[in-house]
Amino acid sequence: MSSRRSRISEEEIKELISNLQFLLPESRRRQAATRVSAAKLLKETCNYIESLHREVDDLSDRLTELLATMDITSAQAEIVRSLLRS
Amino acid sequence: ILVILSTPIHSHRSIPHSSITSPANRRWVVGFEMAISNAAGDPAAGNEGGGERKRKRREDPPVAKWRTEGEQKTYSSKLIEAIRRVRRSSAAEAATDHSRSRAVRVAADRALAVAARGRTRWSRAILSGRKLKLWVRARACRRKPLGNITAASASYSHTTRKSKPPALERKARVLGRLVPGCRKLPLPTLLEEASDYIAALEMQVRAMSAIAEILSAAGVAAAEPM
Repeated sequence: MSSRRSRISEEEIKELISNLQFLLPESRRRQAATRVSAAKLLKETCNYIESLHREVDDLSDRLTELLATMDITSAQAEIVRSLLRS
Repeated sequence: ILVILSTPIHSHRSIPHSSITSPANRRWVVGFEMAISNAAGDPAAGNEGGGERKRKRREDPPVAKWRTEGEQKTYSSKLIEAIRRVRRSSAAEAATDHSRSRAVRVAADRALAVAARGRTRWSRAILSGRKLKLWVRARACRRKPLGNITAASASYSHTTRKSKPPALERKARVLGRLVPGCRKLPLPTLLEEASDYIAALEMQVRAMSAIAEILSAAGVAAAEPM
C-alpha cells in the first residue's frame, strides 16, 4: 500500500529520520533512544532551522550596530589579532 | 590579505550559476583558505584541512566539516570582508539600520554558501541568487497550460497523495521551504540537505557571535572619540 507512490518505502523513511535524529543535537538531548515519530522530528527540525535563522538575524543586527560605532579598519585589525592569538 | 579577500567574492557574483561547482572555483577556494591560514600562523590546521577536504568527498561525515576551527576561521575572514563592503556601500546613501542589517544577513548567507564549495543544493541556490529563482518561477507559471495539466493530474494525484501520511508530507513541504533551493526534493535528499544546512547555520552563528564578542570587547577597550 505504501509503495504505490515511488521507490521510497516507509522503512527507508524511518531510517533516514533516525539518521536525522542522530544529527540534531537537541533531538538527541530530548529523547535518548526512543523512537520519535517522523512528523514530530520534522517539525522539530523546522523549528530548529527557524530559530537558527532568527539567531543569525539578531546577530546581524548586533554586528551592524557595533560596526556603526566603530571604524572598520581598526575592527578588522582587532579581529585578525585575536584570531591569531587563539 | 584584504586584497585577496575582496576579489574572489566579486568573481562569484559574475559567474553564472551553472559553473559554481567548476573545478576552477574549488581550487581557488582551497588556495584562498590556505592563504588565510598561512597568514593566521597555523598552517597545519589550514593546509591539512584544505587538502583533506578536497580529497575526501563523502567519506567523512558531511556535517563534521562545519565543526572544524579552520572552517570557522575562513568563514570569519570572508564575512568581515563582506561586511566591510556593506559598510562602504551604505555609507554613501542614507541607509537605515534595518536595511544595513539585512545586507549583513545576505552577505553572511552568501559567505556561508561559498564556504560550502558548491557541493550542496542549498548553497548553490543561495549563490545563484534569489533573482534567478523568481525569474524561473515566473517563466514556469506562464509556460504551463494550467487547465490541461490540472485536469490530467487531478485523478493522478489523489492516488499518490494517500501513500504517505499527509502530516509527514506537509511537514516535509515546510522543511523544503525553509532550506533554500529544496522545495521539490524527494524526502531522503531533502533530509541530507537539511542536516548539512543546519550544521552550516550553527557554524554561522558561532562565527558571528565570536566576531560580535571581539568587536564589542574592542569597542570598549578602544573607546575612540568619533
